[in-house]
Amino acid sequence: MISGITLDLNVPLERFSVEVKWETEETSLGIFGHSGAGKTTILEALAGLRPLARGLIRVSGETWLDSARGIDLSPEKRGAGYVPQDTLLFPHRDVLGNLLSGARRSEGPWRRKLSFERVLEVLELRSLKEARVDELSGGERQRVALGRALCSGPSLLLLDEPLAGMDLPLRRRILPYLIRVREEFSVPTLFVSHDASEMRLLCREVMVLELGKALARGRPEEVFFDASLHPVFREEVFENVLQGAVRELKGPGFLVELERDLCVLIPRGGIVGAGKVVFGLRAEDILLSLKPPVGLSAQNVIPGIIRQIRRADAGEEQDVPVLVEVAFGRGDLRMVASITSQSRSRLNLAEGSEVHLVFKAQSCRILTVH
Amino acid sequence: MSSSALTALLISLKVSLVATLVVLPPGIALGLLFARRSFPGKSIVETLTYLSLVLPPTAVGYLLLSLLARRGPLGVNALGLDLDLLFTWKGAVLASAVMALPLVVRTARIAFEGVNPRLESMGRTLGMGPLRVLWEITLPLARRGLLASGILGFSRALGEFGATVIVAGNIPGKTQTLALAIFNDIQIGQDDEARRLVGLTAALAFLAIWISERLLSQRRKRA
Repeated sequence: MISGITLDLNVPLERFSVEVKWETEETSLGIFGHSGAGKTTILEALAGLRPLARGLIRVSGETWLDSARGIDLSPEKRGAGYVPQDTLLFPHRDVLGNLLSGARRSEGPWRRKLSFERVLEVLELRSLKEARVDELSGGERQRVALGRALCSGPSLLLLDEPLAGMDLPLRRRILPYLIRVREEFSVPTLFVSHDASEMRLLCREVMVLELGKALARGRPEEVFFDASLHPVFREEVFENVLQGAVRELKGPGFLVELERDLCVLIPRGGIVGAGKVVFGLRAEDILLSLKPPVGLSAQNVIPGIIRQIRRADAGEEQDVPVLVEVAFGRGDLRMVASITSQSRSRLNLAEGSEVHLVFKAQSCRILTVH
Repeated sequence: MSSSALTALLISLKVSLVATLVVLPPGIALGLLFARRSFPGKSIVETLTYLSLVLPPTAVGYLLLSLLARRGPLGVNALGLDLDLLFTWKGAVLASAVMALPLVVRTARIAFEGVNPRLESMGRTLGMGPLRVLWEITLPLARRGLLASGILGFSRALGEFGATVIVAGNIPGKTQTLALAIFNDIQIGQDDEARRLVGLTAALAFLAIWISERLLSQRRKRA
């Protein structure tokens, strides 16, 4: 089976037009951007719901759209598993009826067949089978919509802000399902969000979209590192996303092992279970110290080496943030700290300098446990 | 109940039921067309459809009569076969159906407009073709409004007088519906019989609306 996605899309909108090119072999893709950037438009164009879309869409070797050759498959022939932001569950059917809505297509010979039982299990929907749709909670609705898309034998999953409008505890519960779906079903997925940390967790390649155009594309760590210096995203703080195994409970927190013999303390945040924990740490919550600090209240101090320093391009302004990427541990781990250009010159930081990353346990926020 | 009243009742029920069955398919189709599609001349077509809502029923009856007359465009001379509608119960069905059409179309249109078109798009992305979407999503979601549209059509047919009397005449035992029988009895001074028939139509109308409300509330509970 040929994998990969080729996009060369042009969709006219009222105020601007969406114009993106994307060719990739990766299967976990993300589009990041503020609301109104055109993210949903791209998903709808892929699903075949934008009649004005022109260009080329090729998914796993199948051509869905090729305006030059007059090909424009209707939505039912495309095999896109679309999960819109408002889930659009069918109100006249129960959960089982919704899940089976697209099952007929999945029986086609060329479709990727996912086991219905497996979908029920992975998304923990078995107990909800007979429930009415209007009795479901927000998180359950998302799971049913995701299950319905999976049961339709999709060759591309389109997830539109699956975590938008959910509070942090609910996000923590839904994220593991998304991670599990990715691991379990290996369906190529395009995920749209305005939350960079979630994208880092779920995607291997992302596109940053602004007013319909791609500002950057590539691996999420790099893209977001660059994008957070871009004027459009200046207000947003870069958040490090780290994960590790819970080693022990220590007072009100967890001791999390990022790699062997390297632990950090994070708050428990109401989570009881153990396992793998993913947490975020904002770049501006990290201090850099040349020497190991003494007599400090912050509980986490990690030595590392500066890998690269980036400064936002903003002329002679003094308080421009500078992003410092620090490698630590055995060398594979990275953390980005944000400091001012003044601090940078005061400490005389340069690539290769040895520094200590210092942060409070309380600055870490748990994204999910799985 | 006198036997003539019973006959009128049966004719009324037959005519109204058949008229409802006749008018529902085109009425629903037109409602769907007006709710979902735009095309050149749409407003003209819509106005024409709703015209009989405001025209005097006798005018509609006269138009039908002219169409179906021996030398009319749908008459035996033009078609080469006799539709045999004039002054038969089938003529009453036609007159009632035409008079009920605007109400059915309008109610069906509103029912379809209440269905979120994005749910239909969702069905398409799940692999359903346009017809399956119509059958599995649009119609079930619009069913309450469509039911109401059918009952409104039936009630309108039940009360129809002006067009029916012109197209089907007022023949006791053949085309004389309750509405026509009441008129007849008043004309010839049989006020007692007229009063009985009025009571009967009132009961029938009450029953139709009551059943529809019951149906709607049951569906609401289940849906």
